[in-house]
Amino acid sequence: MVLIVGGSYQGKTEYATSNFPNCRFFNQLHLFIKKRMDEGMGQEAILKEIHEAISEGDWVLIADELGNGVVPMDEKDNEWREVSGRILIELAKEAEEVHRVVLGIGQRIK
Amino acid sequence: MITLVYGGSSSGKSEYAENLVCTTGYKNKYYLATMKHSDDAKDRIMRHRNLRQGKGFVTLEHDVDIVNAISEIDSIDSGDFSTNKADLDGEIVLLECMSNLVANEMFRDGEINSADDCVAKILSDVKELEESVSSLVIVTNNVFEDGISYDVGTKEYLRALGAINRKLAAVAEEVYEVVVGIGIKL
Repeated sequence: MVLIVGGSYQGKTEYATSNFPNCRFFNQLHLFIKKRMDEGMGQEAILKEIHEAISEGDWVLIADELGNGVVPMDEKDNEWREVSGRILIELAKEAEEVHRVVLGIGQRIK
Repeated sequence: MITLVYGGSSSGKSEYAENLVCTTGYKNKYYLATMKHSDDAKDRIMRHRNLRQGKGFVTLEHDVDIVNAISEIDSIDSGDFSTNKADLDGEIVLLECMSNLVANEMFRDGEINSADDCVAKILSDVKELEESVSSLVIVTNNVFEDGISYDVGTKEYLRALGAINRKLAAVAEEVYEVVVGIGIKL
């Protein structure tokens, strides 16, 4: 599994499709996490569902980095940021490769 | 010697910094906590305590005036915590986290101190602390990339933290940015 992270509008998807043309993509992972949290699911359960979704085939996971800002006033936003960050750390440990995209330029960090 | 560890919220920077400290092999490891105790902070403090458990840190708590940690270290440092002969003599301090320290120094005793005063005060405290220990690892926060225009008070805070981060990066031997738990050397 390959994990690609970066801020919004940094060209992550384009980077992913041009560098990993033969993989399946799980894009906007951070929004998937938010959706599941809104449905009442916790960190472990969401991670488990992600694992099940990518259990077969070669997958590229793409997610926004959410943590590089001031602590959000809204408690739910704050919790989303935290859960999303923790899930990405776990996925990065399991990933064969981790790439970070800034200004369309990808840097392999693992 | 200063090592700076920079990263966003929930980027894994704490764990990365703790592992960094443990691999240096200094006999005496101190964790200098700057977070104020409040209900909101309790969960986070517990998480960090659990992370450090078994890693041999002595915890010091100074939410302002971190220079006071020096006399506390002197009073504790009567022997070595580690009996491992291969370990290096001396002490290493892990300061976590600069973003809390700046907030505490700025909004102190019901007063609001200016960004410039805060920057000067904290940098002078850091320098004194650095000179009295073998190694100092500072964890600091990236809070600068959400594009939101904040109120005057928050802007002052961001300006102070940004200035301190840049000054520390300039004097640090090593600077790491942590992304999804992975340290990138800058």
